[in-house]
Amino acid sequence: MIYGDKNLGVIVQNITGKQGTFHTELMNAYAREVGGRGVVAGVAPGKGGREVHGVPVYNTVREALAEHDATASVCFVPGGAAGDSIMEAAHAGIELAVVITEHIPVHDAMKAIAYAKLHDCAVIGPNCPGLLSPGECKLGIMPAHLTSRGNVGIVSRSGTLTYEVVDELTRAGIGQSTVVGIGGDPVIGQTFVDVLARFEEDPQTKAVVVIGEVGGNLEEEGVRSTDLPVVTYIAGVSAPPEKRMGHAGAIIEGGEGDARSKVRRLAALNVPVASRPSEIPGLIREVL
Amino acid sequence: MKMLEYEAKSVFSTYGIPVPKGALIRAPEEVTAHLPAMGDGVVLKAQVDVGGRGKAGGILMADNGSAIETARELFSREIKGVPVREILVEERLAIEHEYYVSIAIDRSSKQPVVLFADAGGVEIESDVTAIRKVVVSPLLHDIPPFLMREILGGAPKELAPVINSLYHVFQEKDAMLAEINPLVTTSRGVYAADAKLIVDDNALARQGIAVNRDLSEREREAEQHGFSYVELDGTIGVIGNGAGLTMSTLDLIEYYNGQAANFLDVGGGADQERVKHAVRLVASMPKVSVIVVNLLGGITRCDEVAKGIIAAGVAPTVIVRMAGTNEAEGRRLLAEGGYKMLESMDAAVKAAMEVRR
Repeated sequence: MIYGDKNLGVIVQNITGKQGTFHTELMNAYAREVGGRGVVAGVAPGKGGREVHGVPVYNTVREALAEHDATASVCFVPGGAAGDSIMEAAHAGIELAVVITEHIPVHDAMKAIAYAKLHDCAVIGPNCPGLLSPGECKLGIMPAHLTSRGNVGIVSRSGTLTYEVVDELTRAGIGQSTVVGIGGDPVIGQTFVDVLARFEEDPQTKAVVVIGEVGGNLEEEGVRSTDLPVVTYIAGVSAPPEKRMGHAGAIIEGGEGDARSKVRRLAALNVPVASRPSEIPGLIREVL
Repeated sequence: MKMLEYEAKSVFSTYGIPVPKGALIRAPEEVTAHLPAMGDGVVLKAQVDVGGRGKAGGILMADNGSAIETARELFSREIKGVPVREILVEERLAIEHEYYVSIAIDRSSKQPVVLFADAGGVEIESDVTAIRKVVVSPLLHDIPPFLMREILGGAPKELAPVINSLYHVFQEKDAMLAEINPLVTTSRGVYAADAKLIVDDNALARQGIAVNRDLSEREREAEQHGFSYVELDGTIGVIGNGAGLTMSTLDLIEYYNGQAANFLDVGGGADQERVKHAVRLVASMPKVSVIVVNLLGGITRCDEVAKGIIAAGVAPTVIVRMAGTNEAEGRRLLAEGGYKMLESMDAAVKAAMEVRR
């Protein structure tokens, strides 16, 4: 566990929305299963006083924190308003904001992440599946049944690809310490460097799978920053230049972030690079 | 979405950035009406969305006597395969010096970055050592003077207000990139001789932009259904959920020496109606002989996907790999319908390669 354990108190922003309601229940089902605290309060402006699956709803983050002991937030606020919600959480004293929302304008994300940093709040995402430490806590939308407890960390820019790799590892009998989806947008709060630094401090984590994709050079920065054994996989070697493959981050900019040159640069650092997801368990066994 | 030069210049000039006198024409004869305002020489610039337009023959010089003939010549050209339908006619500036300035997003520092060089022009991006990079906090409305001094170095101070205005454009227009190359000095003052502006697709609505022109017809149709969709050159159709998994499926096809016909991410929580549209959209590409559906159900339910595939009832073979939420029911439905299902994405892609041949 690197961002929190069973004792972590969580609030959900926009808890009354369709996704907020649905995933509050799934997060709390997981908390019950592992004996954790889970979601203790929700926030939805103008809907204070209601309950969602037994969780009390407040109008503001500040009101929720006045009544409940929580240090983390999971944000399901829609794109145009999500930047504001991140700043609200940071301002009220939240230390970890996990932002599931996709389609946040990038200028909003830049401002919110900079503002959160001034208030010592770490942001994971936006446009991410969140994080899950098997047996401890789940913040976000990851399917918990695929995970198993163990000593391999996963940090990834892509949601479903993360599930694919978790599934491969679990079926190969390799458990995970913590799985973190950091999001595929051009600007994200916690990057590979930040998450790998936490894994390095974590006695449970013995090796890390780094899952990247076309765009930028964050993967390389991350791999250079850590002494932990790392296995990487980069999606998008077949992506044509200038085309946007799915999310905003996955676009090749001026040749810098194309997957092939990224794979070459990682290989030059003597890091194993899987050419397909099914190779990852084998490569992890070699570095463990 | 990438704006054309004349659109970007129109935005820049509303922010007080001086641009050359110019006019947009759609036929060669229209150039005549604008010549008196332009002075002795003009520049004709094809308004096409391609990079390296100047080198590809998209920018021509003319004097007043030859302007119609030159315009006719430019309208007859294709620039990197794109026909010229609009031309920006501009006065020719008496340039003293060219600079380069660009504002983009620095992913590592998560802040805007101003790039500046003492020499502008088409070659600038090949000599990155000549470019100074200065990051600015996104919480600041103006570039503070101490950073502006760092950006300019020995360049004239009269460039500063233009760079600060460009920063305002960048912030207020939700830009991914705002660039002036070259930014020129003349005896009459500073001008943006060229202009580039790319607006964040996630902010098009609040910028009042209704249609993303960067998309093809089929891509636009896909967007209406909420799919991410890109057309490629191969014969194997690909449908997945999540950008990473779908992209990874494309890579796996390449790994097995095949070529994908498209990238279609149905997104999270797709119901049977959406899946049906997705399958039909991909099947409507004439070159597609087989479709691979690779799906990991989280929010998305496998039984809904199965119903959608069956409801689409398309001619190309559909090979399915699905795992996750309601997997058993999804598999039962597809088995009844006689569809081919495989356990892993590797197996599904290999099977598609067989059908393709």
